[in-house]
Amino acid sequence: MKSYLAIAVPERAPRARILATLAAMLPRVGVADDGAFVCDLRGTERLLGTPIRVARNAVSACGASGGALISGGLGTTPFVARVAASRSVTGTVREIAAGDERAFLDPLPLDVLPLDPKVIEELSLLGVRRIGEFLALPRGSVSDRFGHAVAIAYALATGERVEDVAITTPRRRIRAKRTWDDPVDSRERLIFALRAAADELAEALRHDGLAALRIQLVLEREELLPLRLERSLLPPSAESAAIVRSLRWGLEEITTLGLVTSATLEITAVEPARGRQIGLFAPDGAHAEEAIAVAQFLRTKLGPATVLQPRVVDAEARLPERAAEWEEVVR
Amino acid sequence: MGAAAAGTAGTTALADAIARVEGRFGTHVLAHGAATERRATERHIQTDSSLDALAPGLSSGAPIAFIGTGSTGKVALAHRAAAGAQRDGGTVLWVDPTATFDPLLAARSGVDLSRLIVVRAKTRDAVLLAAGAALRSDGFRLAVVDTGPQLAPGSTIARIDDLAPLLPIVRSSPAALLVISDTRPMRLAIPTFTVARLAWRARFGRTAGWTSLVAARALFHFAALGTESHDLGMQSALLERTG
Repeated sequence: MKSYLAIAVPERAPRARILATLAAMLPRVGVADDGAFVCDLRGTERLLGTPIRVARNAVSACGASGGALISGGLGTTPFVARVAASRSVTGTVREIAAGDERAFLDPLPLDVLPLDPKVIEELSLLGVRRIGEFLALPRGSVSDRFGHAVAIAYALATGERVEDVAITTPRRRIRAKRTWDDPVDSRERLIFALRAAADELAEALRHDGLAALRIQLVLEREELLPLRLERSLLPPSAESAAIVRSLRWGLEEITTLGLVTSATLEITAVEPARGRQIGLFAPDGAHAEEAIAVAQFLRTKLGPATVLQPRVVDAEARLPERAAEWEEVVR
Repeated sequence: MGAAAAGTAGTTALADAIARVEGRFGTHVLAHGAATERRATERHIQTDSSLDALAPGLSSGAPIAFIGTGSTGKVALAHRAAAGAQRDGGTVLWVDPTATFDPLLAARSGVDLSRLIVVRAKTRDAVLLAAGAALRSDGFRLAVVDTGPQLAPGSTIARIDDLAPLLPIVRSSPAALLVISDTRPMRLAIPTFTVARLAWRARFGRTAGWTSLVAARALFHFAALGTESHDLGMQSALLERTG
C-alpha cells in the first residue's frame, strides 16, 4: 500500500502557494525536515481515488501554482516517498511499490539518509558507501558504535520507523486596506473609517471559524514615518466591535497621529473561535469575560494592587479590616 | 458611471458627517432606529426603590451624580444602584481613588462582590483611564466613580469637574456612569441627585441614624455605621398619607 506522497520542491519555488494548493486538495499535509511536502494518503482512496492518480493531480496542481520544477514520489513510508520524489524527473511521480523499498534504496549513497557528514566519512573509511551496505551491518552494532541518531536513520531505511506527518496549516493573511485621497486628521474619523475594515476582517474570521488573537495596524502618514500598532485581543474575538475597541485603546495612547493617508489592518495571530459560556438566567453574564479583559488592561496600565476584587471572609469580625479580603482580579 | 460616482460621493459625505457627530458626541451616538428601540427597553437600571421614580433615572449611556456632604447616604444609594445593575448578571466597576470602599457594607446592601471590580486609581488620569475603559467595553453595566471626601484642595485625586472627558464616552456606552461627590460640579453639566440630610435620629442619647432626602423627592433612612438603609418612599406620598 503506497500511503504517502512526497513533493520535492526547489528552494526558490513559491512554497506558501504550493502548501496552500496541497492543503486545499488533501487532508493531511506536512513539511519534512528537508523542506519537501509530505502528504498522508491513508484512508483517502475511496474519496479521492488511487494514490497515483492523487499524486499526479497534486503534482500538476502544484506546477500550476508556480512550482515549475517539482516532482513527486509515492511510497509506503514518508522517507521512501521523499527519496523517490527527490530522484524522479521533474513533473512526474515515481512510485515505489510495497516490497520494492530495499531494491530502490540499496544502491543509493549514504547522504540520502539523515546522517552527520562525519558519520558518513567514518562509514566510508569502513567501506560502507551505499545504503544497502549500511543496512547489511548488524542493527545492534550500529546502535552501539554510532549512537541513537544513526540507529534512527537505520530504522528509517529499513522501514521500521515511520515518520509522523505533522500537519502544517498554510498561513492565511486576513487583512484589509483603506486608502484616502484626503488624509484623515483625527482619531475619531480614523476609528470610524477603520470600522468597515474591521467588519471585513470579522466576516473573514467568522467564515473560517477563527478568532483574532493579535491584530496589527499600519498607518501611512504624510511627512511622518509609518506607524505600526500591534494589539492583543483578550479574550480572542471575531467581533468587529472588539477589534475596533482594541484599536481605539491603542490609538488613544498615540499623541501625534498626523495626517493618515492609508491604513492596513491585519490579523497576525488567530485561534479557533470558542463558544462562550452564557449563564442561563443571567443575560449579561455573556460579557463577564470582557470585564476581565478590561481588568487585565487596567492591571497592565496601573500596576499591581490596583484592580481588586473584595471578598467577605468574616461578617462578624470585631475589627472591620478583618471582615474582608482583597484579591487581584488578574495576577 | 456618473450615478455611481455621485452615490460614492454621497456615501463619503454621510460618513464624514457621522464621523463629525461621533467625534463630538461619542461613538454609537447615532444608531439605526431598531437598535435604539431595543436599547431603550434594556438600558434602565432598576433598583426597586424610590430612586426608580426619580428623573432622570439610572440608565445605560447616561451619567448621573449623587451629590451631598459627608454622611448623607450617597454611597449606600450607590450600593443599591450597583445591586440593581448586577441583577441581570451585569458586572460593576467601582473606581475608588481614596480606598474607602467597604466590602461588608456593600455585601449587606445586596452587592454581589463576585461581580464587582474595584479599581484604586490614585490619580486623575488613572481615574479617567479606568472609568473610560469600563465605559468603552461591553463588559460592564455600571461604572461608579467615588471621588471621596475632598479634604486636600491641592491633591491629584480626581474631582467631579475632572470627569468631563467621560461624558462623551458614556453617551455611547452600554454602561451607566454614576459619580459620587461631596461637592457640586462647577463646570460639568451632569444630571444630579442631591442627597441632603433632613434629620438625625438618636437612640439612648446616641446617634442611631439619619434620614435623607434625595433629589428633593425621595426619602431614605440610613442606620449609623452603615448597617442598613430603608426606602421610605416619595416625600409627596408620605405627606399625603400623614395628612
